[in-house]
Amino acid sequence: MTTPSIVTVVEGSAPAEWMRMSLLSMPVVEAIHVLTAAVVFGTILIVDLRLLGFPNTRRSITRIEHELLRYTWGAFIISVVTGILMFVANATTYYGNTAFRLKMLALLLAGVNMAVFELVTKRGVASWDKDVTPARAARFAGAASIVIWTAVIFIARWIAWTKGYSAGESIPENINFDFSTP
Amino acid sequence: MVRDFAAWLETTGISVKVQSISWIIPVLQSLHILMIGIVFVSSLMITLRVVGGIRTDEPFATVWGRFAPWMWSGLVVMALSGLVLIIGEPVREFTAVSFWLKMSLLVISVTSIFVFGRTLRPETLTSATAEFSAGRKAAALATVFLWLAIIFLGRAIAYDAAVWGHLHS
Repeated sequence: MTTPSIVTVVEGSAPAEWMRMSLLSMPVVEAIHVLTAAVVFGTILIVDLRLLGFPNTRRSITRIEHELLRYTWGAFIISVVTGILMFVANATTYYGNTAFRLKMLALLLAGVNMAVFELVTKRGVASWDKDVTPARAARFAGAASIVIWTAVIFIARWIAWTKGYSAGESIPENINFDFSTP
Repeated sequence: MVRDFAAWLETTGISVKVQSISWIIPVLQSLHILMIGIVFVSSLMITLRVVGGIRTDEPFATVWGRFAPWMWSGLVVMALSGLVLIIGEPVREFTAVSFWLKMSLLVISVTSIFVFGRTLRPETLTSATAEFSAGRKAAALATVFLWLAIIFLGRAIAYDAAVWGHLHS
């Protein structure tokens, strides 16, 4: 597999060098990544569950969404920045890692699901905004979102066990989740 | 002594079992992170309501009733998954400075939330307009910062020597 030159270029960049050389950069950046990913998951879960009719409430869906928006997006942006820092530090390895690629695919799916919900499904929101169980399309979006974001977190953890270099993780010898070699 | 205990635990049947099934630790770590999302965000929602940043149209009892059960249930799942992770890698955990600090802060955090929930006055519970005292607001915010520290320390276990230098045994 050939690695695009952009991957090797970012790997040689100053931030990548800092990530590799500083003792504390990796644990601190990873901890912020875990924290912000957890906030993204947790805040989205509140909206998703409401879409699925839990809790049994007539509280406006758009209001719940609006209240959480800044926390979800704030955490998401920090998560992307810390994620990019982790990526550039070992860009070639991540690029070739199947779990990493699956995670990017899952993130893309999450984005598509959200876009469809925001741009299409929510056109009719006025008629189900305060329903205990909203329209079928909205319930579907909520269920899909829970599944996709859960997958993102599971696949993300899998990257650490398959990426092929050791950064803090002590990988037992019997662990071999290398998806790239069938 | 702790190291001896960890070394002994590592040789027990249950620990060997966890070590021998390769997917257990990654799956439990993922579950642990999902629970961080549920517990931390639930705690954050309760705190934001206490300081008046969110759901101020609802009485505190409604917000507490919505998020506290998720927080406690998430904590139970988190503790159980954490326990199996400890059994599977006892030396890694018990020799980490971050692990012991994390456990200490966890005890403080859970105790403070428990006390907070138990000592609420009825009027602050049922009225949407009742204000919390400055002390309670500070206590609620302190809990969020405690969780932040706990999450950081959790990740730092994997990097204990780098984070703590000579303190790491």
